[in-house]
Amino acid sequence: MKRKVKAKIYLTILLILITICLAGCWDSLELNKRSIVSGLGWDLDPKTGEVTFTVQSIVPGGGQSSSNISGQQQGGSQTRSIQVDKDTGPGMYDAITRLTQHVSRFPFYPHTKVYIFGKEGAQYGIYQFFDVQARNPDSRPNALIVVSAEKKASDIMNIPDGLEKIQAFGMAAEINLSAQYSKYPAVTVFDFQKRIMSKTTAPIAPIVGIAKEIGSEGREIKKLRVAGTAVFKGDKMIGELNERESSGLLWAINKVKIGFITVPEADLEVVKAKSKIIPELQGDKIKITVEISEDSDLVLFKRRQDITVGVVRELEKDLEKEIKNQVMASVEKSFALDADIFGFGEAVHRKYKKEWKELQPKWDDIYPQIEVEVKVDAHLKKIGDIYKAL
Amino acid sequence: MFRLLKRKLLQRTSDHKDEAKAGNDYAHIKLDIKLDDNLNRIRNILGESNDVIIREMKIGRNSNIDAAIVYIDGLVDRNLINHDILQPLMFNLPLIRDNVNQKHASLIEFFKSTVLTVGQITESEDMVTIISDVLSGNIAILAEDTAEALLIDAKGWEKRGIEEPGNEVSVRGPKESFTETLRTNTALLRRKIKDPRLTFQNLQIGERTKTFVTVVYIKGITQENLITEINQRLKRINTDAILDVGYIEQYIEDAPQSLFPTVGISERPDVTAAKLLEGRVAILVDGSPMALTMPFLFLEGFQNPDDYYTRPFFATMIRWVRLLGFLLSIYLPGLFVSLSAFHPELFPTELLVSVAAAREGIPFPVVLEALLMLLLFEILREAGLRLPRPLGQAVSIVGALVIGQAAVSAGLVGAPMVIVVATTAITSFLVVSYADTGVLFRLLMVIVSGFLGLFGMVLFSLEILSHLVSLRSLGVSYLSPLVPIDFKSFKDTFIRAPLWAMDNRPESLAPLDKKRQAPNLMPRASKSSQTGREKP
Amino acid sequence: MFLEKGKISNFQLGLLIIGFVFGSSVIISPGQGAGHDAWISVALGLMESLLIVWIFTTLAKQFKGMTIVEINSLVYGKILGTCISLLFIWYLFHLGAMVLDNYASFFKLEIYANTPRIIIILALVLVCISTVGRGIEVLARCSAILVPITILIAIADSALIIPQIDLKNLLPVLDVPISQILWAGHAAASFPFAESVAFLMVLAFVDITENVSANFLKSLLIVGIILIIVVARNFAVMGPMAAITNYPSYLLAQAIDIGEVLTRLEVLIAVNLITMGFIKVSVLLYGTVLGLAQVLNLHSYRPIILPIGILMAILALTTFGNSVNMLNFAQKGYPVYAAFFQIGIPLITLVVAKLRKLNPTGGSKA
Repeated sequence: MKRKVKAKIYLTILLILITICLAGCWDSLELNKRSIVSGLGWDLDPKTGEVTFTVQSIVPGGGQSSSNISGQQQGGSQTRSIQVDKDTGPGMYDAITRLTQHVSRFPFYPHTKVYIFGKEGAQYGIYQFFDVQARNPDSRPNALIVVSAEKKASDIMNIPDGLEKIQAFGMAAEINLSAQYSKYPAVTVFDFQKRIMSKTTAPIAPIVGIAKEIGSEGREIKKLRVAGTAVFKGDKMIGELNERESSGLLWAINKVKIGFITVPEADLEVVKAKSKIIPELQGDKIKITVEISEDSDLVLFKRRQDITVGVVRELEKDLEKEIKNQVMASVEKSFALDADIFGFGEAVHRKYKKEWKELQPKWDDIYPQIEVEVKVDAHLKKIGDIYKAL
Repeated sequence: MFRLLKRKLLQRTSDHKDEAKAGNDYAHIKLDIKLDDNLNRIRNILGESNDVIIREMKIGRNSNIDAAIVYIDGLVDRNLINHDILQPLMFNLPLIRDNVNQKHASLIEFFKSTVLTVGQITESEDMVTIISDVLSGNIAILAEDTAEALLIDAKGWEKRGIEEPGNEVSVRGPKESFTETLRTNTALLRRKIKDPRLTFQNLQIGERTKTFVTVVYIKGITQENLITEINQRLKRINTDAILDVGYIEQYIEDAPQSLFPTVGISERPDVTAAKLLEGRVAILVDGSPMALTMPFLFLEGFQNPDDYYTRPFFATMIRWVRLLGFLLSIYLPGLFVSLSAFHPELFPTELLVSVAAAREGIPFPVVLEALLMLLLFEILREAGLRLPRPLGQAVSIVGALVIGQAAVSAGLVGAPMVIVVATTAITSFLVVSYADTGVLFRLLMVIVSGFLGLFGMVLFSLEILSHLVSLRSLGVSYLSPLVPIDFKSFKDTFIRAPLWAMDNRPESLAPLDKKRQAPNLMPRASKSSQTGREKP
Repeated sequence: MFLEKGKISNFQLGLLIIGFVFGSSVIISPGQGAGHDAWISVALGLMESLLIVWIFTTLAKQFKGMTIVEINSLVYGKILGTCISLLFIWYLFHLGAMVLDNYASFFKLEIYANTPRIIIILALVLVCISTVGRGIEVLARCSAILVPITILIAIADSALIIPQIDLKNLLPVLDVPISQILWAGHAAASFPFAESVAFLMVLAFVDITENVSANFLKSLLIVGIILIIVVARNFAVMGPMAAITNYPSYLLAQAIDIGEVLTRLEVLIAVNLITMGFIKVSVLLYGTVLGLAQVLNLHSYRPIILPIGILMAILALTTFGNSVNMLNFAQKGYPVYAAFFQIGIPLITLVVAKLRKLNPTGGSKA
């Protein structure tokens, strides 16, 4: 009896093996039949409604001879490390399918680091893309959202990036670095989804443009540059924040990590920062208090003067004023755009969930009327290696 | 029903066979009084082989007693025959002939008690015993008018000395290993354990080889069930030849259809002694320089004698290394295959870029590439093992350098695959007990992952797990103390607790004497030494 | 007649329960429908299920060493008992098919887009069949190894995502109407907690029956707390996205990124799903075949494992046309459907047994 059972068990194992073997390997695709996509561009022509899909893929083993110096002319002995393909079709999947007509390999998306939207497409609305993105298991929630400063996404996908072999990775690194230094936000798919799903909060995304320089032989060299923050309303881009406003935004939404602030007489390095949005319902009016506390170190003091307690206090005051101005600049801009980029609405929702039911439908009208107060509590911590002027 | 019938039938035929054999043979023959008849019979049985020596002689005062000694040349000690048997019989006997009739019941009795100056003597009138004793290196003495023979242990054949263990190398432990001689092996164990309760139980197995098999255990520690179970299993073996301990292993193991071994094997007396002291049973086989130990549990494979001879911290770390090595050796090629063919999204991006670069222009699918390389490695290993030693090294150089290097630069296999296979090759030898199990699982894992990717690998692992937990070795759950969980016995699994902390023998073996040592043996300075030179 | 000779310890039973409840809830969050208050629903569901479990463990305690099938035939008599037993067995069978369906949908969608469903389902079912063939003891021992690993992975997963947690996403508390939270709570009780009613087929083989009840509640509490943490964590990281995605935990694992080294860990969730799904399907398959064998008076349940397992696979292949139907059923129909088997049968049986004053094992504590 026991042996019979055992035989049966082995029979089952055999069965498993047979089924698996007969099954073949549907999902197996060799690496040399896939092209690894590093960056994805999405454009929509507002006139025709046609979608352009741009794929930047990694050339395996490309860019091996690393003799090129940044800014030097491209080509020569250098092999390509990326390849950019694009195609246009009446719909997104038409465009993707048409790509197969001139791309030899199956595009493989899960390693995509950036999703780039052409400005035109972004202004038209990018809901389509996010729908596909969220439905499709191939996408990663950590990829960064970028809006191209140029019309088309493909315009910035061909510009070689200095240090990185693969341009899209370089672009992602630039965005992350600028976010780390609290210049512009780095927005992942997750962040964007959260904001797009909120009824009031406006999505944001960094803008990447082209910076032109004159190189050694008088030739024009193009480089990538993070150049602003795009503000969306719903899924449509409606405006952008400049550098100062972007920093102000980051201060208000507690995204400042480190960075430098210039006040009239000194440069300061932010080492610690924290902010809080406190809503208050006063009758019909809404008052928002943004509380910011930050610590910073002195890195440059322009006056040739010893640093005394008085100077420190003075600097702190300047610092507070500067941060406040930055935040207010972004608030003004967001009021002008009528886009709740700070998530004030959600803050009110969290605190006044009953009242929120009435407030939410008319939030667009209420928003520009909000009274915003910024309270900054800045501290100067270290003053560097010297304690007197040179 | 049918099975029962079949078994009964089988039993009957085997009984029948025994009877038939007895008819032709000598099973029930007793010695005769006539010496000539006896010798003829022996000649008949032993045949015409020229290593059978039957030396007839005349002893007694007037050389009036016919006698003979029978032995196999080469198996006995010639000095002993000459000095201790022939000499006393032929020279001393005439002098004291008169004593015989007065003091001793028989001539044989007289020989035994007075004449022969050798250690181990038995007497027998049974032809079977005589023949088998002679064949295993004893000398038989027969005399006229006596229906009994004296059997003298005079084993003295050429044998290998005790050498360093070749397979289970230890850095700090003793450097002796078992040899082919059973007696030497038992002596090696006896030297380790001078406990009178250390018991050697002898059996002879094999219709034709009559191999001596010894079951070793320590009374009072080893659970009696284990001993009876082993004895039953050994007695069931009804085969004509036992040439090595491996034969016994295959006849008595618990899971003959499993890829996992359920019988432990060691060439080290110290390891065997340690296992005996834990409450296991060992089996020694004459002619084999290995000892079997049972029950064998899965985690035993990860233990190594050096673990116990060095301090516990490093030993614990190295255990984890072994575990990791074992897992790597099974999973790494499969993992690589499924990641690169099915789930490239799971590679870190940078790694994927370099793996993809190495993959360019390689003609085979990655599964085939992996199988080829693994197979190639097995071929090299086997060749290196079987060839004479100097040649074997040449083979490994050719294999490693020429094939590995050339295949990569010719673009036949990718460099990552070579790294994977090489890593696997090395790690698979970290755990010697499962080296061959590992090879099979690794190949299976690669095949499965080639068809279904990680999903297949996980399902296959589940099947292995469910198989493993269902295994038992001599009734002890194979995965214990993990399953069923026993935290007390964890001291010698994933960690190697200090010896002074391992107070108890492993619970899973249900030893009769649970305590290994007195409690609180943690070394500490005694009070007197604290009042030393240093002042507080 | 004893169809099962194996015995499992209380400890193994606890782990088996945890593994069973984890089952497909490794990827499918319970408490869907309550928005970011899902964790409250799960907590409510846990409390409800503790009550349910108390009912059926009391039943099991009163009839020691008996499966629900044997209890039924004792309490209701031969014919009615058999009918009720068959209903119960159908539930186990159907539940097994649903778990298989969940699991196949997940793999088909996320990882194996081109592999036919039948292969995905069959591969798992065959492993379950072979394990069930080895008896409940082997199954329990498997869970003793797999469940700690799963819990460890769940904890590691949660720990690694801490940098991305924003507790503000859980505010305001009780944002959706109470009725919705309560319904989601009941749904969370019916899936996954009270599905452990399947253990009425297993409890008979626990070696020490005295503290089965406490043990059962304890394991349920452990897995419940883990699930509450997991659900809360999902919302804290993903915000409203966690409410609309099919497999929030999987999506969340994709987002883990510690220094670009510890990243792309979603495969661990998939592994968890396979191992826990394996335990759940195996327990259900075991319950089905053992129950059927008892109803049909078979000598052994082993011969019917293979056919029943294959049937389960076929049912899983054909039940739901698409995931919208499945979702609809899971949120609206299932809590009602399951309540009959999870609460109805044990409660009625217990009451009838009390009324008939049946006390077969002479247990004085009942």
